[in-house]
Amino acid sequence: MENILEISDLRVHYFSNRKTVRAVNGLSMGMEAGKVLGLVGETGAGKTTLALSILNMVRAPQGKIVEGSIRFAGADVLAMGKRELRDMRGKDVAMIFQDPMTALNPVLTVGEQIAETVRKHEELSIEDAWKKAQAMLETVGIPADRAKEYPHQFSGGMKQRVVIALALACNPKLLLADEPTTALDVTIQAQVLDLMRKLIRENGTSVLFITHSLGLVAENCDEVATMYSGEIVEYGTVDQVFGKALHPYTQGLFGSLPDLSAATDRLKPIPGLMPDPTALPKGCFFCPRCPHAMDICAKEHPADVDLGGHRVKCHLYAAAGAAKGAASAAGRRAE
Amino acid sequence: MSASATTTTAVAAGRGSNFARALRRSGRNFAQFWRQLSRNKLAVISLVIVVGFAGVAIFADLLYEYDFVTSNSLENALLKPGESGTVYYHDKDIEHTFILGSDNYGRDILGRLVHGARVSMIIGFAAVAISLCAGGILGSIAGYKGGLFDTLIMRATDILLSIPTILLAIAIVAALGNSFFNLLIAIASSMIPGYIRIVRASIIQVKDQEFVEAAHCIGAGDFRIVLRHILPNITSPIIVQSTLNVGSAINWAASLSFLGLGILPPKPEWGNMLSEAREFIQYAPHLLFAPGLTILITVLAYNLIGDGLRDALDPKLKR
Repeated sequence: MENILEISDLRVHYFSNRKTVRAVNGLSMGMEAGKVLGLVGETGAGKTTLALSILNMVRAPQGKIVEGSIRFAGADVLAMGKRELRDMRGKDVAMIFQDPMTALNPVLTVGEQIAETVRKHEELSIEDAWKKAQAMLETVGIPADRAKEYPHQFSGGMKQRVVIALALACNPKLLLADEPTTALDVTIQAQVLDLMRKLIRENGTSVLFITHSLGLVAENCDEVATMYSGEIVEYGTVDQVFGKALHPYTQGLFGSLPDLSAATDRLKPIPGLMPDPTALPKGCFFCPRCPHAMDICAKEHPADVDLGGHRVKCHLYAAAGAAKGAASAAGRRAE
Repeated sequence: MSASATTTTAVAAGRGSNFARALRRSGRNFAQFWRQLSRNKLAVISLVIVVGFAGVAIFADLLYEYDFVTSNSLENALLKPGESGTVYYHDKDIEHTFILGSDNYGRDILGRLVHGARVSMIIGFAAVAISLCAGGILGSIAGYKGGLFDTLIMRATDILLSIPTILLAIAIVAALGNSFFNLLIAIASSMIPGYIRIVRASIIQVKDQEFVEAAHCIGAGDFRIVLRHILPNITSPIIVQSTLNVGSAINWAASLSFLGLGILPPKPEWGNMLSEAREFIQYAPHLLFAPGLTILITVLAYNLIGDGLRDALDPKLKR
């Protein structure tokens, strides 16, 4: 199947007076159409920056995409003009923001905000756009006559549903969900996720689902990517990664989760902190915290190792990867 | 043909109902706003005064004819308030009661105040409208675009602000000549820097909020974002500033006319009435009190309304 999103060697830096923050470092990934990709990683790993880059919305003048390419449905996003970008945003690629409290304009009614998006991208009269806005609100479970109310008249969960309605109003091909449930409490989280799942299934939207929570990934996603210091350190299907996490960082993430079946007194947090993005180490970024660190880890930055679609950036698997690569090459020759 | 006609009607219908909806909504908002404002008695009294003055300005010709208040009748000079006299006007002798007395040319003071209100109101509102448009546009560009635009516009503003307002106004009137329109320009341009600063500061405050980013994200252009998403969020400080500015514009108009740089006699204007009355302060102090108190009351009323609006529009001060 063709990849709807293709990112290669993306580097995004933020420049301040003295320092350069390297937020995304040579990130490459592809996303198949219709799939839900979970992107996990701790705060500051560059998840949001990645999402903003896909819309070419990294905030100038501090932020800059210094290298790499992003292709959405075959078109080069970074080479697009202002107008093309505006046409793409909201129509082809939509984003759900982390905090619904601040993502809605307080002085416009929710109906107006949805209708505005619809009218921006579709040739509709004001009246038809308003009807569509009401219909969208109905789909997310908000009565149509509340379209004329203002954001402050809604609760947090309802606001997030409005944001989802807003994002899905133009049937985007790709949805960037940036921690859509982080600001909500657990019961509302479940409702919002159910709703998102339903709408995504119905429309066949591809989703980049950014989250902290491995639980949400297991429930909602087809594939997982673990992000650390601006690069994807492990990538695979949910079964592959949750079945056998390869990268020590992903293993650490799983280790820091409580397990219901085993009696554990203490959780095992990953020791240390993420490296300072203004001064990244030369070798593997995870090396200083890694329990399996070897000599080579501090010296050389690991390359992607492909183990049958399950990719990992770690020296531990270099040998296994080479063997597997040789085996599959041999297999191909045999055919 | 018929298809296009149908679309047009549909659009028109859509506009209509949208307009009705907006009207109903603003009605509701206004009711809430009015509840807030009406708690402030001073503001309500000031509003009554201002509306009254505006009414007087609009219907000035019905109260006193313009020719009547500008033509001399020296036999009635310096009458005390309430005295009557015979005025030869338009080839006729009319018996006239001078409610607030007459000036040194025998002109009716109240009549001149009434017609002077017209000048003051027009200058007050027009100067604010001009400076609001200019300052709003420049402030939006500076705040939203930032960078070089910001630096250029703000440094120019600083230069304008470093010149005393009255000097600037005098310079403009002196350069362009003495006329109503030039007076307007002088006052408006002295108020522009204030607007630039307020609009810029408010825009910077709002433009980094997430809903603006979200607006970018749905593919909205800069123009739409500023007009539709940012400006409605910063109306309160602008409304307050504008109300206060109407008061100071009236004050400036009177000051410049007093100095002989604005509206010149025999055209009635509060400032030039005050100026003419100076000579007679010993024999006829009422000549001075009438325009002086009028200016005082008007400017005070606008300032009190401004304060009231600030309290009513600022959610942090709501009780």
